[in-house]
Amino acid sequence: MVRPFKKDINFLSKRRIFFIISLVLLVLSITALLVRGPNLGIEFVGGTSINFTSAGDITTEEMRSAFTDAGSEMPLVQTTASADGEQGFVVRTSEDDSAAASALADEVALALGLEDDSFQVMTIGPSYGMVIAKNSAIAFLVAIGLIILYVALRFEYKMGLVAVLGLIHVLVIVMGIYAITGREVTPNVVAALLTIMGYSLYDTVVVFHRIKDNSGTTNRHSFMTVANHSINQVLMRSINTTTTSLVPVLAMLFFGGETLKDFAFAMAFGLVLGSCTSLFISTPIYALWKQREPKFKKLFQKYGDGVGVFTAADNLGDSSK
Amino acid sequence: MADKRFKPKKRPSRARKHVLLLVLLGLLMAGAVFMFYPPQEKIQQGLDVQGGLSIIMDATKTDGSIVTLEEMESAREIIDRRVNLLGASEASVQTQGNSQLLVQIPGSIDQTQALSTIGQTGVLEFINLADVEEQDAVVALLNSYTLSHEDINRMLAFDEIEVEQIGEELVNGRAPAGLYAPQSQSVTIDEDSTDFDLAAAQGPTIYKLLALEPGSYEPIFTGADINTVRVGMDGELSLNYAVNLELNSTASRAFGEVTTALAPTKGKVAIILDGVIQSAPAVQVPITDGNVSITGNYSLRDANSLKTVLDSGSLPVALSVISSQMVGPTLGQEALARGIMVALIGLILVALYLVVFYRGIGFMTSASILVFAVLYMGVLALLSYFGLFALSLAGIAGIVLAIGMAADSSILVLERFKEEIRMGRSVRASSVTGVRHAIITSIDADLVALISALTIFIAPLGAVSGFGLALAIGVVCDIIGMLFFKAPLIRLLAPRIITRHPGFWGVKEDEEYAEQAGELVREEG
Repeated sequence: MVRPFKKDINFLSKRRIFFIISLVLLVLSITALLVRGPNLGIEFVGGTSINFTSAGDITTEEMRSAFTDAGSEMPLVQTTASADGEQGFVVRTSEDDSAAASALADEVALALGLEDDSFQVMTIGPSYGMVIAKNSAIAFLVAIGLIILYVALRFEYKMGLVAVLGLIHVLVIVMGIYAITGREVTPNVVAALLTIMGYSLYDTVVVFHRIKDNSGTTNRHSFMTVANHSINQVLMRSINTTTTSLVPVLAMLFFGGETLKDFAFAMAFGLVLGSCTSLFISTPIYALWKQREPKFKKLFQKYGDGVGVFTAADNLGDSSK
Repeated sequence: MADKRFKPKKRPSRARKHVLLLVLLGLLMAGAVFMFYPPQEKIQQGLDVQGGLSIIMDATKTDGSIVTLEEMESAREIIDRRVNLLGASEASVQTQGNSQLLVQIPGSIDQTQALSTIGQTGVLEFINLADVEEQDAVVALLNSYTLSHEDINRMLAFDEIEVEQIGEELVNGRAPAGLYAPQSQSVTIDEDSTDFDLAAAQGPTIYKLLALEPGSYEPIFTGADINTVRVGMDGELSLNYAVNLELNSTASRAFGEVTTALAPTKGKVAIILDGVIQSAPAVQVPITDGNVSITGNYSLRDANSLKTVLDSGSLPVALSVISSQMVGPTLGQEALARGIMVALIGLILVALYLVVFYRGIGFMTSASILVFAVLYMGVLALLSYFGLFALSLAGIAGIVLAIGMAADSSILVLERFKEEIRMGRSVRASSVTGVRHAIITSIDADLVALISALTIFIAPLGAVSGFGLALAIGVVCDIIGMLFFKAPLIRLLAPRIITRHPGFWGVKEDEEYAEQAGELVREEG
């Protein structure tokens, strides 16, 4: 895969395009979040979810009317497919009393002639939903706090700040995707997003680390050029690690049951967005910021705005740690 | 020169270190296999996988104050009794957080019935035992054995089991019958003797004796009439404990009448919780002031056990079901099967990817992911053994993700190894420095992942915590696999085998790169 002296791909000269794409995605996401809002799952707002598997040839209409007959207002009926290809349903209602929800499920199953153990019922009371929502928010804040602490202890503050901005960038867009598609946001999604934060942060840290090493060993290039070269150096690793992480996640998304899909959807987007953000958004922002430092300003004035490429000599000279 | 002469001696010792690490790993793996095989028995399954009913109850104080630990514990015991009444064999009731109870009932169960039994307010009643048929048998039972609901349920389930046999293995779950006395007075008890043949009684008989038909009796007073329940010493000089009750005025009057009538014959007043007789102390003297002491050579544990019974009628906290989840047994197993399939697909695809991209050394790292998987299963089984882990669906997601994480660290190692070769280092030198660098980087990455995973595990987000735990364990296993397998294996193979067959191991192009780059530099320079 490695061809000798293949020239660096000049990513960073296109940084304006990356910024515009990012801006468009952010604007879309924030608009969607403000206008439509995320579709919060019953775990957060309370309610009942009844999952019927192997529902035979019952139609959505029959399912809905069975629920309304049993006294449920506005049941939300969705179809699912189980492993053996048999049709199933997930029905969500606003019923937040466990006993009543259980009785409702029994009644519907009886009316439709379904087996006693062919469905599962989950009910979350409104107060518990509030607790879960609150805890999710706390978990996010704690995780971000810990990550900032870790980054602050381990790296300089500019790196840390840009890395955290990158994380927020990813989170906002993934949440935006949830708002646009109307997919339910569950605690699983929260967990997936927290995990993505770790992944994405690490991607960023690896590039920044490399930039730091490279910028210390050469003064023949502007900081932007060094950053671009660093991207090229870690690109293969980044593509490979993202792919290997993505492969199991996609397996979950395509072959997993409801719970696994829940995790996988957020993760698949988060992984790809995360590594793209590290390379093409966080890195140029960091480089732009660093170029204002006196030392790098001089190099900038000397070599200009253009993004240059490294030569073979640079290649051998740099990373010898 | 002297330095050079020492080197050949050093090399085998380093190789020996690597071999030693690999042997150690071999032992670890054997241990892991021993731990988890067969996995369906050794790895505990969560309720959403094995099927069953999971309920979360929230305790609140009616006056808005904070629920104390003792109150939570007595609430837990009360719910435990009710759950056992359902006949669930392996149910568990745990406190969760400050004010929650997590009730887990595995297996197939009627959810509607379970919710109504568990969610009911405990009914505590006091009745004159003379109103009960077969009271002699009841008395004998209560005095001879300390039965808990579990025992009763076991007897119900296996009615062929002899009562005597059960009696021998009984856990002391119930306070023995005692005596009613005024709180000021200390009394001694004499053992009851009856003609009831305990050995001949079968389980269901016992249950029928203790569980009363609703409406077949008239309570003297109920739990709502009890103002306070306290455990105290049974007299000033006594080493035994007593349970002291203070009744309200209506109950005092009613109890006064009954005890006055029963005292001459040492008649009994039975304590009934949710329709089942818990205890039937004998009345010693008439008690008319509403200050009742139940004594009976009680140990502190006996007394507390009785107090729990009495408390449940006047529960210090209000319990409400705030969340419930019912999973049919077949559904959970189906989801598990799919989860395992997904994990295997992920594992195989990742391994293939590594082999295609990195050839020989990729094959080696694929093997390392296998090592990782075995260690991982072992640790999960170990934690299951101590009741610290149960595989939930969220946990499966964590495991699948951890596979990706293990692949990540492999790639870090391979890329760094190859990169150092491209810089013109020997394969052997790269296997030392490159791998060292990569391990430091990987551990860094793993630490960041651990932050997220542990946050998820610790944050009370319900079922998701299983994901955090599975992921965190995966991260730790990855670090172990790296230090004990990947690093020593590459270093062991590098000096001879990889150097000799760079093509097979996929490092040939890196060597060529270094060579050509070197030439170019010479030309430029």
